[in-house]
Amino acid sequence: MFRLLTAASASLLLLAACQQQPAASLERTESAAAPETTEAPGPGELAPAFTLVDAEGQQRSLADFHGKTVVLEWTNEGCPFVKKHYTGAMQALQREATADGVVWLTIISSAPGTQGFVEGEEAQAWKAKHKAAFTHLLLDPTGEVGKRYDAKTTPDMRIIDPEGRLIYVGGIDDRPTNKVEDLNGANNFVRAGLADAKAGRPVQTAYAAPYGCAIKYPETVEG
Amino acid sequence: MRDALAAGAGPVARASAAPGPQRTERIEAELVPMSAWAVPGSTAVVAIRQQIKPGWHTYWRNQGDSGGPTTLTWSLPAGVAPGDILWPLPERQRLQSLMNYGYSGVVFLPVPIEIPADAAPGRSLPLRVTAHFYVCSDEMCVPEDLDLALDLPVREGAAPLDPRFGQAIQDVVAAAPRPAGIEARVALTDGRLVLTAAGGPLAGAAPRWAYFHPFEGGVIDHAAAQSGERGPQGLTVTVAAGRGLTSNGLKGPISGVLSTDLGAWEITAEPGAALPDVAGDGAIGDGEGAQTAAAATALPDFIKAAVFALLGGLILNLMPCVFPILAMKAASLSRAAHNPAEARRDGLAFLAGVLATFLVLAGALLALRAGGQALGWGFQLQSPGVVAALALLMLAVALNLSGVFHIGAGLQGAGHGPLSRLPGVAGAFFTGVLAVVVAAPCTAPFMAFALGAALFMPWPMALAVFLMLGLGLALPYVLISLNPRLLARLPKPGPWMETLRNLLAFPMYGAALWLAWVYGRQTADALALLFGAGLMLALALWLYGRAQAASGKARTAAIGALLALIAALGLGVLAGKAPAASSESGAPSSRLSSQPWSEQAVQAALAEGRPVLVNFTADWCVTCKVNENTALSSARTAQALEQANALYLVGDWTRRDDAITAELQRHGRSGVPLYLVYAPGRSEPRILPQLLTEGVVIDALKDAID
Repeated sequence: MFRLLTAASASLLLLAACQQQPAASLERTESAAAPETTEAPGPGELAPAFTLVDAEGQQRSLADFHGKTVVLEWTNEGCPFVKKHYTGAMQALQREATADGVVWLTIISSAPGTQGFVEGEEAQAWKAKHKAAFTHLLLDPTGEVGKRYDAKTTPDMRIIDPEGRLIYVGGIDDRPTNKVEDLNGANNFVRAGLADAKAGRPVQTAYAAPYGCAIKYPETVEG
Repeated sequence: MRDALAAGAGPVARASAAPGPQRTERIEAELVPMSAWAVPGSTAVVAIRQQIKPGWHTYWRNQGDSGGPTTLTWSLPAGVAPGDILWPLPERQRLQSLMNYGYSGVVFLPVPIEIPADAAPGRSLPLRVTAHFYVCSDEMCVPEDLDLALDLPVREGAAPLDPRFGQAIQDVVAAAPRPAGIEARVALTDGRLVLTAAGGPLAGAAPRWAYFHPFEGGVIDHAAAQSGERGPQGLTVTVAAGRGLTSNGLKGPISGVLSTDLGAWEITAEPGAALPDVAGDGAIGDGEGAQTAAAATALPDFIKAAVFALLGGLILNLMPCVFPILAMKAASLSRAAHNPAEARRDGLAFLAGVLATFLVLAGALLALRAGGQALGWGFQLQSPGVVAALALLMLAVALNLSGVFHIGAGLQGAGHGPLSRLPGVAGAFFTGVLAVVVAAPCTAPFMAFALGAALFMPWPMALAVFLMLGLGLALPYVLISLNPRLLARLPKPGPWMETLRNLLAFPMYGAALWLAWVYGRQTADALALLFGAGLMLALALWLYGRAQAASGKARTAAIGALLALIAALGLGVLAGKAPAASSESGAPSSRLSSQPWSEQAVQAALAEGRPVLVNFTADWCVTCKVNENTALSSARTAQALEQANALYLVGDWTRRDDAITAELQRHGRSGVPLYLVYAPGRSEPRILPQLLTEGVVIDALKDAID
């Protein structure tokens, strides 16, 4: 007899519980935030080692590319800031860089079920779909590598020199908008950094504030 | 979800800019003035008013770790020059390991506008702006462009505050952080930014917490906790430096907003040694708890709405519109009272009926609104077809209570098998359905807030709020039917029950007549069809009852019943399809002399210095009619209106009216009645209670001219 009432109240409780869950996980990450952020590597420091599976299912380690300049690019195809750069500018930069012998690793740290996450055939089709020219598309669904590098947004960029040191960390350019017209006249820090590195100069701008969409990390990952 | 984004992030269609609110799925924005008019050669203040969907945010000038600030692109007449946005203090919005600075709910971004000295009084200045918002939730970010317009009148003489949002904007302007003579220094030590601030409002003050919001990104680690210390002249804030500072060094002054529990001020800190007397009086926090309590409104709002919905549902039982339904409940309760098992079953079936109907109606309402229709609660009674069907249904129920026919009489005689219980359960469920369909259009105190809030919540929360409302409505009946001791207090069954049943038929006849009257006002000259259908239905049911009594022998009666029923259905369908009356016909039946409501009429009267009483009503809203026939029609109310030289405006929502729906929403409501009293020179109207008394109306009018 009370089944109806119980069912009704149970579903209400369930709804309430669903609402409380994010709040609970918020508190947890809060306490973890302070130590985590100070330890992430900045310009001049060694790039943390990692191994991820690429879109084709191959394991790729940062160590595989020792002796080469490596670009890391965090992306999320649903993010309006990423879409701005993928109107052609990002692909052009990827082509220029890889033609110069740079290894370009595009990383997706979106958790399963969140915006930007891809797997399987969708991951394999990603490069063609976006006419991209990166070396490998790496999948980081647990978010561990993104957190290790303290990647915050999409896009968020890193340049690693042949010795494995970070020589650029941060946003892709100095126009923090999603407007395509802002690509004109923007100072692209990755292009500038790669040019400095190629010419054997110290990178002039080694950090710029990243901008864009928050990376959709799974809620359980700790730094 | 990705598809939704793809649709939302595409190029935004530019609606031709017209004054008034513009909206997308996630945000509503409007360009609104602080003062009623602009004076030539002065600075006027206008504001972008944002109403952001719960769970979504827009951003401060420094967005923090993700998102982006709101930007404005103005298109103004020659000589009119916009200033910078006066940013209100943002909320701190944590997203896992990120920290964003932004806004939620309703927020005003005021902008000072220079009005040239040669602006012609009597004309208005067309102000146009494209506002670019990043509207982000925890899951995604959507850039939204809205073209906003305001035609700002130009007049000489000191301008009063605009009655709509003038006061609110003035409050935001007054509270916006600004320089206050605070001296500040900043130093970078061991990857930490040490900020010292002294003087001005900080001297001798004892803030409980302090937090520094830099204007630029990369200065601090936004997500890191800030630790503070208090001294006699000011305070010290220490926070992990941002990558921009640790990578590039501290090369110049750092500006931002220093916020404390005592106030927030703009500061510019020069690199240099720490100021004296800004530590030593004890450590202070960064106020994160205090901030998140204010910022994370979604959950408390939901709980508040749910509790209010429950209370509102309970109170709904006392509202005039629920009276006929109370009659049905009383009839069924008296029948089942001395069989606790049956009473319990009936009570739960009634609850199930109420909840199921709330779910269906609320689901339909939310789906239609998501589809872009401007509808409010009670929308089902805005359709004459539904009203006609309900009138016939009420008639059938009344005839049943009068004993003209019985539902499932044959089965009830068949014994006490499980089947015999079916009609009772189905009947109780059906009573619950009817209770909601007919009674819910009334809004009761508390309920109004809950419904208004629910319409802006994510749908699972919104549905939960509606279910709480249903629970409240059904609760008294369910509690009685679940409590054998209460049931035992009811009189023993006997012939009185039949008398009571017959007596309770009359409220149902009344309900049928009321719905027919509503139908008559909604349609043009189709009432005869509905009456014909009613007559045929009554004949059909009487014949059906005869057939029941004769237990199978009266085949002619059964055939007659069938024929009459077909006729009733035919006429009913015709009645349901009757064309709606044009909105001009059928002036509202209130007895005070009134004019139809429009925003312009309100503004015009206020400009003349007259107070305004607005009554949003609908013929199908019994509470509205009761108020109109008591508090709003008395001689003393009329006298008070005359003394105040007040204008009485009536907004009739009997038929669908998107302007009224929007106005109800602006006051956080989704249904009628709504009573507003505007006083000249005051920004927001006063909202009167939903059950009016003469005294309430007269006091409000007196108050408006004081």
